[in-house]
Amino acid sequence: MTEQHKFGNVVNPITCHAWNKDKTQIALSPNNHEVHIYQRTGSEWKLIDILNQHDLRVMGIDWGPNTNRIVTCAADRNAYVWTPDKDKKWKPTLVLLRINRAATCVKWSPDENKFAVGSGARLISVCYFESENDWWVSKHIKKPIRSTVTTLDWHPNNVLLVAGSTDFKVRIFSAYIKDIEKTPEPTPWGSKMPLGHLLAEFANSNAGGGWVQSVSFSPDGNKVCWVAHDSTINVADATKGNAVCKLRTEFLPFLSCTWITNKSIVAAGHSCIPVLYSIGDNGQLVFAAKLDTSQKKELGGLTAMRMFHSLDKQARSESSDTNLDSIHQNAITCVCIYAGTKVNASKISTSGLDGQLVIWDLNSIEKAIQGLKIA
Amino acid sequence: MAKNTFSSAFRKIDVDQYCEDNFKEDDGDQGGPTGPDEAEVNGKHLDALKAVLNNAPLGSKNQQIKDNAVNLTLRVLLSIKPSQIEDAVNSLSPDLIDVLMKYIYRGFEYPSEGSSGHLLVWHEKVYNVGGVGCIVRVLSDTRRA
Amino acid sequence: MSATLRPYLTAVRHTLTAAMCLENFSSQVVERHNKPEVEVRSSKELLMTPVVISRNEKEKVFIETSVNSVRISIAVKQADEIEKILCKKFMRFMMMRAENFVVLRRKPVEGYDISFLITNFHTEQMYKHKLVDFVIHFMEEIDKEVSEMKLAVNARARIVSEEFLKRF
Repeated sequence: MTEQHKFGNVVNPITCHAWNKDKTQIALSPNNHEVHIYQRTGSEWKLIDILNQHDLRVMGIDWGPNTNRIVTCAADRNAYVWTPDKDKKWKPTLVLLRINRAATCVKWSPDENKFAVGSGARLISVCYFESENDWWVSKHIKKPIRSTVTTLDWHPNNVLLVAGSTDFKVRIFSAYIKDIEKTPEPTPWGSKMPLGHLLAEFANSNAGGGWVQSVSFSPDGNKVCWVAHDSTINVADATKGNAVCKLRTEFLPFLSCTWITNKSIVAAGHSCIPVLYSIGDNGQLVFAAKLDTSQKKELGGLTAMRMFHSLDKQARSESSDTNLDSIHQNAITCVCIYAGTKVNASKISTSGLDGQLVIWDLNSIEKAIQGLKIA
Repeated sequence: MAKNTFSSAFRKIDVDQYCEDNFKEDDGDQGGPTGPDEAEVNGKHLDALKAVLNNAPLGSKNQQIKDNAVNLTLRVLLSIKPSQIEDAVNSLSPDLIDVLMKYIYRGFEYPSEGSSGHLLVWHEKVYNVGGVGCIVRVLSDTRRA
Repeated sequence: MSATLRPYLTAVRHTLTAAMCLENFSSQVVERHNKPEVEVRSSKELLMTPVVISRNEKEKVFIETSVNSVRISIAVKQADEIEKILCKKFMRFMMMRAENFVVLRRKPVEGYDISFLITNFHTEQMYKHKLVDFVIHFMEEIDKEVSEMKLAVNARARIVSEEFLKRF
């Protein structure tokens, strides 16, 4: 039902990961300045390249599936676009981000002709290739962002961008670059779209607070979902006058979320288990299931002996296990779709601070959990 | 011409505060709720609890109003017997559970004779219903009790 | 063990679990730096509401949380002069060796006896629930430790005075 993978014998956290188009290769950062590319053969992972150009921790990786280019950004304020050369080694091109704080997140647009980088300089750089100069250049979206941009996602129309930040707000901007694309069609979010135009702004909570940790546009682009540090999951719907539906959960805060169909969302974070939420008929968010069904391991017999053993060894009576009951042993920081798209994902992959990559088969989980229907 | 002085006071100036895109708190609603009314709170404990939590002046800028609300809420919390706490908590909506947790933490800041022990019972019962999420929200919400 | 110790420690455990949701966060004030926001306090929006959990007037825990670090300060029960002195000496002993304790802060926060500073680097390297266990275990042990030392000091004083009085 799930596959667990480890890379090498390192137990470093995995900052983030990204797949190539046919999911045979993965790019991940082992919580340092490097990006490792692994090739999969059966259940083996072979390290085929190390992208070593950043000099501080890598914060974001995205792999453009169609153009086969990788973009990475890091706390050293730089971003690189990597392209494979003839002997399959990756060559970097520096991007002029013009920012003076850490770059925190990066995403290719759906057409892969531009990408957006969020940063601690309280702005978003929208980057595109200028063929005259043979150079990646950027345009800034500044106002009214008041704090570090933590997360980004593109609308399917290749123009709108949703950004979440630590000033407790989710904002939808236009990232229209008139030099390289034609005028966009109107959307339910609005029709006027000059670069940097703010189409919508949502405060995370009317109680104030809650850093936005992850945002995601729905596959049809009409809804946007976000998770925040007040343990909530939220959906705003443009077709219903930007109405926001908020669900306060009993879990620890989520760090990452993605749509897996037009009506279902997977979110995962500090509680170490991915959780499935679905949208009810009246637009309400409802809890559907925990995807991690691992049970507490049975403490077979001899409990008295075990008790004295632990009393003797650690001078304490309780026999609390070191390992958590979940598959992931530390916070999950990254959720990606492994098979399918946002409309009909059948497998998702998660990585976290415990250095594990887990691939979850949604179809078999759906069968295994009674009464669960992923619509 | 710059004058050479031995003053080093300028080194202490926080220049970042003049950066125009710094985070600023939203202005809360100025009038806002005035907090629970003393008269509403007499009578049944459960109704009193709902009354104080529904009218909690969390967004208010006036410290006086907030303090009054804290005192009143604590009085209600402490007058409910430990055996009745569970029923009281179960009758509250999720939103009110979050507010209640805020007041419990606020109460811990002023320990008086036996109050902390009583509040610890409240804490346990509210945790059983709201889960760890409601503690996260006490920490992350900027509107304090 | 008195009736409020268990609920007190449980409340602290749950609060720490909620507070210890940290992430690696680069400073937005100083470029290319990474500082514990709970110590530098340079960006207001990155700090969470600090909370206190008290067992009585004297024993309490102060938990301050930020985006990448959490500071836990503990006030230990000190019933009389001798416990005060013992506690002070004991904490001083530990804090002078703070780097060996990894999460210990060299100075307590004002009004408390001892402080821990846990950052995202600790939660990445160690199991989070074990870090919580450690703090709880510390709180359990510290009272015991102080009262045992007090007994030992009293016993020693008794023996010394007996020996001394034998002469007369």
